[in-house]
Amino acid sequence: MKSSMTRRGFFGRTAAAGVGGAALLASMNSQASAADGEPIIVGCPSPLTGIVAADGIEFRRGLELAAEEINTIGGILGRPIQLEFVDTESKGDDVVSQAAQRLVDRNNASALITGYNLETGTVLPEISADAGVICMHAQTQVTHEEVIKSDPDRYWGSFMIDPPETFYADGLLEFIKELETKGKFDRPNDKLAIITGPGNYSVNIADTLNEKAKEYGFEVSLFETVKVPISEWGPTLSKLRADPPAVIAMTHYFPQDQAQFMLQFMDDPTDSLVYMQYGASLAAFRDVAGDASEGVLYATVIGALQDEIGIAFREAYAAKFGADASPNSGGQTYQALYMYAIAASLAGGVGAAYEEEQNRKVAERLRGLIFRGPMGTYRCVQETQSAYAYPAQTNDPSLGMPHIFSQIQSKAEDGKLVAPWPYIVADFQLPNWMKS
Amino acid sequence: MILSKALSRDLLISVGFVAALALVPIVFPERYFVGQIITFLIWSMVASQWNLLMGHAGVFSLAQMAFFAIGAYTTAMASRHLDLSIWMSLPLAVLVAMVSALIVGAACLRLHGAYVALLTFAIAEVIHVLIITDTYCYTREGGGCLQFFGGATGFSRISDFGFRPFLKGDWILGNYYVVLLAFAFVTLVTMFVMHGRLGLAFRAIRDNLGYASSRGISRFYTQMTVFAISAALTGLAGWAYAGHFRFAGPSLFDFSTLILVLSMVIVGGLGSIWGPYIGAATILIGLEWLKEFGDAKNIGLGLILVLVVLFAPNGLAALFARLFKHIRPGKNNTPKSRT
Repeated sequence: MKSSMTRRGFFGRTAAAGVGGAALLASMNSQASAADGEPIIVGCPSPLTGIVAADGIEFRRGLELAAEEINTIGGILGRPIQLEFVDTESKGDDVVSQAAQRLVDRNNASALITGYNLETGTVLPEISADAGVICMHAQTQVTHEEVIKSDPDRYWGSFMIDPPETFYADGLLEFIKELETKGKFDRPNDKLAIITGPGNYSVNIADTLNEKAKEYGFEVSLFETVKVPISEWGPTLSKLRADPPAVIAMTHYFPQDQAQFMLQFMDDPTDSLVYMQYGASLAAFRDVAGDASEGVLYATVIGALQDEIGIAFREAYAAKFGADASPNSGGQTYQALYMYAIAASLAGGVGAAYEEEQNRKVAERLRGLIFRGPMGTYRCVQETQSAYAYPAQTNDPSLGMPHIFSQIQSKAEDGKLVAPWPYIVADFQLPNWMKS
Repeated sequence: MILSKALSRDLLISVGFVAALALVPIVFPERYFVGQIITFLIWSMVASQWNLLMGHAGVFSLAQMAFFAIGAYTTAMASRHLDLSIWMSLPLAVLVAMVSALIVGAACLRLHGAYVALLTFAIAEVIHVLIITDTYCYTREGGGCLQFFGGATGFSRISDFGFRPFLKGDWILGNYYVVLLAFAFVTLVTMFVMHGRLGLAFRAIRDNLGYASSRGISRFYTQMTVFAISAALTGLAGWAYAGHFRFAGPSLFDFSTLILVLSMVIVGGLGSIWGPYIGAATILIGLEWLKEFGDAKNIGLGLILVLVVLFAPNGLAALFARLFKHIRPGKNNTPKSRT
């Protein structure tokens, strides 16, 4: 499959599809005659303060950029998009539920779009089902899939725009295997150290890694759960230094905690690859870790690609919000709002809160939509209303959200995408601390 | 039973207040608004019990949110692990919170003042840390792991009050009246305790321990009693919370949540009767208004606290009582602290 398609040819097609999406929206807007110009409210319950505010602020920015662009080409069938935000304070189900309900009842939101919140993954589908509105998020949790499967008719309006976290562990082990096969990494021993935070997202990835390590010839030498947030990594590092592993996999994902780990790790590094879940993809990680960030590997199932579409988005994002902004987080809501606008236009418009009939039509379009944006291709798994994962669920990169691996090679810029094909822009480099 | 004049007055106000609250969802049916009033009712219950413990009995405990969490967690765990309905878990939530309070109280109430605060806070924090650092999968649901105590994520989608099949889109009304019933019960019990012999004993120990002891009042047993009563009623509030939100998680142990409820007690007036209710309403209205100001919300909340402490050091309840006395100069025989 890979040899029969050129990289240039692939991007030629996907870029056209991306441009086609915006063009389709513009075309439908120009034909809209019944538009009353009344704004369509899109609500965003997002962690704008608290421990994951770095992400929450980017979710807001992503929506702002997308709304600005979409409104420039006529909004949704002539109606402009108006954004409303409520801070979920990096708190749990109760606060997220009140925030979402406020957006529905006070702001009359027709849709709720966000990245993730520190909730159990069940809140937004419930609010969406009760209010008859569309909800789109990147919670990256298998819980979403379980909720949808439990009652598809009730949760018709909830969509997770990326695959669940269950793909991360297999993906990492496969990635390491590929590095070894290609001779880019030669493990000094068979030990794997797993460091997890207490959240289910992190625990699920860590547990699966723990279970599957043996299949890939690894022995788990350390399985450490840390209380978060954490800035003092001394005890964990002592264990790592006493029994150095070939790979350190940190599934806890707060960027500031990961940065502190790297700063302290670099005082006396072990001969280990360092993999960090998601957080290292944010500019905040590089800001705090500085030189210590270079060489770190990270992965995400929803990160901004570094191809034509992805770069165009990154540039627009940096132009609007500055070089320190993180397109990897902002791209999540950016892509989601585009998908919503196209689906709503195709459905003939949106319904207000509690007007289920029209919003069901929008949901139907979202289920059938294949959208190529800066984060990759969204295609809906019908029974779970989440995105197909590439390469785990499809071997066609144009039909799944890529599970991308990146490596920070310069603290001044985002990590370089090192897997999977065809999104690769740089070769994996052995970190400096391993070379020495 | 002969009711004292003060008790009769407060009972009358309570009944009027609950009756007025019962009309709220009929007049303002918006789901968000009803949800906010439910939140007010829940936090009022917790604040009133904290006030009973701290303001009336003089026990400076910081474990009150832990008892609230224990009520909520018991409900969630009974639902998830034992498949019990929310109604079956009600006595369990109250009982577990009360027994926990007796155990914590036995250890802490031998101490005095700030030491009680430190030890109760430490115990609550230890429970919190034990819960969030537990990653052992007790059971697996779908592809996810569920720890025995819910781990860092907590329990979600637990059984609710069961109104959805009957009331459809108006399920929140059912929740509202259940929580209101719990609120009415907590308020009435609190009134009887405060105005009864037990309340008198609480205040005697708070105001003059030596004299109270010389009259045969045991500090330890009296404070254990108030600890158990307030924990049981706080556990009931935790049950109501879990039933309404269908959730119990470690955010209930958050320091910010503790400060929020404590500020309700302080703003309303520590040691007053209606202070916690006034404080809860003030803080929640303030928070709602401050939501429009984004990141400045916490500054605004701090400002409310500072202003109240500066201009109404005994709380808003005492301030309103003074104003009331000015308006009705002939009716100035109301005791200062009994607002």
